[in-house]
Amino acid sequence: MNDDIRSLTARLADEPSSLAFLELAEALRRRGRLDAAYKVARGGVSRYPGLADAYDLVARILSDMGDLAGAFDAWSSALQLDPMRVGALKGIAFLYFRAGDVAAAVAHLQRAAEADPDDASILPALDRLRPETAPDTAPSPAPVALPAAVEPAPAAGSPTGALFEGIEGGEEGLLLVDTHGLRLGGTLAGAQGTDASDRVAAQLAGLSREAARATRLLGLGGWHSIAVEAPDGHLVLSAPTGDSILLACRDRSLPLARVGLLAERAARAARAWLEAME
Amino acid sequence: MTQTSTVLDRITRVPGVRGALIVSAEDGLVVAEQLMDGVDGRAAAALTGSLVARLARATAATGLGPPGFVQLRGDGGAVLAAPGAGELVLVAVVGPDANIGLARLEMLDAAGQLA
Amino acid sequence: MRALEPWVVEPLQSFLTESSARLTLLMTSSGQVVAQHGFGRSLDVMTAAALAAAIVASTEELARLVGATRFGALVHHGVRQSCLLSSLSTPRGRWIGLVVFGPETSVGIVQLFFDRMGQELAAAAPRDQSKPPMLAANFETELRDSLNALFGR
Repeated sequence: MNDDIRSLTARLADEPSSLAFLELAEALRRRGRLDAAYKVARGGVSRYPGLADAYDLVARILSDMGDLAGAFDAWSSALQLDPMRVGALKGIAFLYFRAGDVAAAVAHLQRAAEADPDDASILPALDRLRPETAPDTAPSPAPVALPAAVEPAPAAGSPTGALFEGIEGGEEGLLLVDTHGLRLGGTLAGAQGTDASDRVAAQLAGLSREAARATRLLGLGGWHSIAVEAPDGHLVLSAPTGDSILLACRDRSLPLARVGLLAERAARAARAWLEAME
Repeated sequence: MTQTSTVLDRITRVPGVRGALIVSAEDGLVVAEQLMDGVDGRAAAALTGSLVARLARATAATGLGPPGFVQLRGDGGAVLAAPGAGELVLVAVVGPDANIGLARLEMLDAAGQLA
Repeated sequence: MRALEPWVVEPLQSFLTESSARLTLLMTSSGQVVAQHGFGRSLDVMTAAALAAAIVASTEELARLVGATRFGALVHHGVRQSCLLSSLSTPRGRWIGLVVFGPETSVGIVQLFFDRMGQELAAAAPRDQSKPPMLAANFETELRDSLNALFGR
C-alpha cells in the first residue's frame, strides 16, 4: 500500500468522523481502486450529508465506474448544497455532452466559468462545444443512453409541453424548479436575450427552505410567496408543491400585484402538471 | 430625533406594522430598531439579510438588477425589505391586515434617506 | 460531527444545518473538547480548543479591567472565512463555542442559531441529581469567582 494511503487510512481509523475520508477516497480513486474509493466516500457522505465536497467526490468515482446516472444524482446533490460548485457544474456538463445535449452542456459550463473565471479548463471546453450548437457542424459523439430520469433540457425556443398553456404571456418568464435547483419546465431569458433558465434555477435551490424558516421563526406561519421589485422587472416566487418552486418574471410595465395573480395561476397549472406526471 | 429614529418612526406608524429595523445586509445584524413586544429583531435582521442576499443573486442571474423591494408573505403576516444605499436594508414585520401598499411607499421613500 | 455526550448531537446538528458553519468546536471553559465538526486532525482540535479557551479567558480579563460584565461574543472577520467565539451556559457549566464560517452565511445567522443551540442544549441536558465530578479546572474557576463575588472585585 502506498505511504499516503497508509497514513490516511490510519488517520481515518483513528478518527472515523474526520474529513480525512475526502483525501483517502480521492487517493484511492486516482490509483484506480474504485470500489474501495466508493466505500470510503459513501461512508463520508453518511457522516456529512451537508458537505458538497463529499457528493462531488462520490460523483467523480461513479463517473469513473461508468455509473453515469448515479454520478448525475450525486452532482445534483452537490449543486443543491452549493449551486456554484464548479466541479459539479463541469461534471454535469460532461454528462449532458455524453447524452448528446450540447446546449445543456454549454449552459452548465458557462455557469462554471462565471463561478470560477480562473479555471483554465473551462474556456477551451466551451470553445470546443460552441461550434457544435450550430446546425451545420459535425455531429456530436454518439449519445450515451442515460436513464429516463435524466432528460436533457429542451433547446431554446422548443415547446415544453402543456405546462403553462393558456397563461398570459406564455411560458417565457415562467420557471418551474425542483428543490435541487434543476429546471422542470418553462424558460427565462437573461440579459441580451441569452437563456438564463438553468442559471436562475440553480439560484433557487434552497430558497423555499429559507423562506419557510424565516416566516416560521418570525411567527408568521408558513410562507406562500415572495415578490421582488427590481429596476428591470418584477419577480414572484411561490411553491406549487412541497418539492418545487415557481418563478414568474415580468416587465415592470405589469404591476407587481398582477404578476402575483399570474404567478398564482401558473402555480395551479404547475401543480396539476406535476400531479399528472406522477 | 436622529435620522434613523425618524425613518423608523414613519414605518411603524403605518397600520399593521409590528416593527421596523435597519439591518446591515452583509452581516445580518441590527443597526437600529423599533419593535413591538414579541418581534424578534435579531432573527428578523439575520433571516431577512440572508434572504435578500440570496434574492439578489437570483435577480442578478435574471439580469433584472438588484432588488429594490421584497415582500415575503406568510400565513400570519409578512416581512418587507427595502435595500438602501450601501449595505443597509430597511425591514418591516407586518401583520396580516397591514396596509402593505402604504408601508411599501413609506419604506421606499425612507430607504432613499439611509446613508 | 463527533460529540462526547449523545444529548449534544441533536442541538449541534441543528445548528450546523441552519448556520452552514464550516467548522465548529464546543468545549468547556478550561478547553476540554465536548464536540467538534469539520476538523481533520485531533491535533488541530486540541490546538484550536486551547487557543479558543485562552482567548476567551483573556477577553474576560479585559472586560473585568474595563469594568464591563462578560463580553458576549467575539467575531473575527476574514476575507474568505470568519470566526465567532462565544460562551454559553449549560447545566454542565459554561461552555465555549468556536465557529468558523464563510461568505455563504452571515454572522447574524451564525449568532442567531448559536444562541438557539444554547437553549436547546440547556433543554436537552440530562437532569441527574448527582453533582458532576469536580474537575481541577472547575474548582479553581469556581473558587476564583466566589472570591471575586465575596470581595467585590
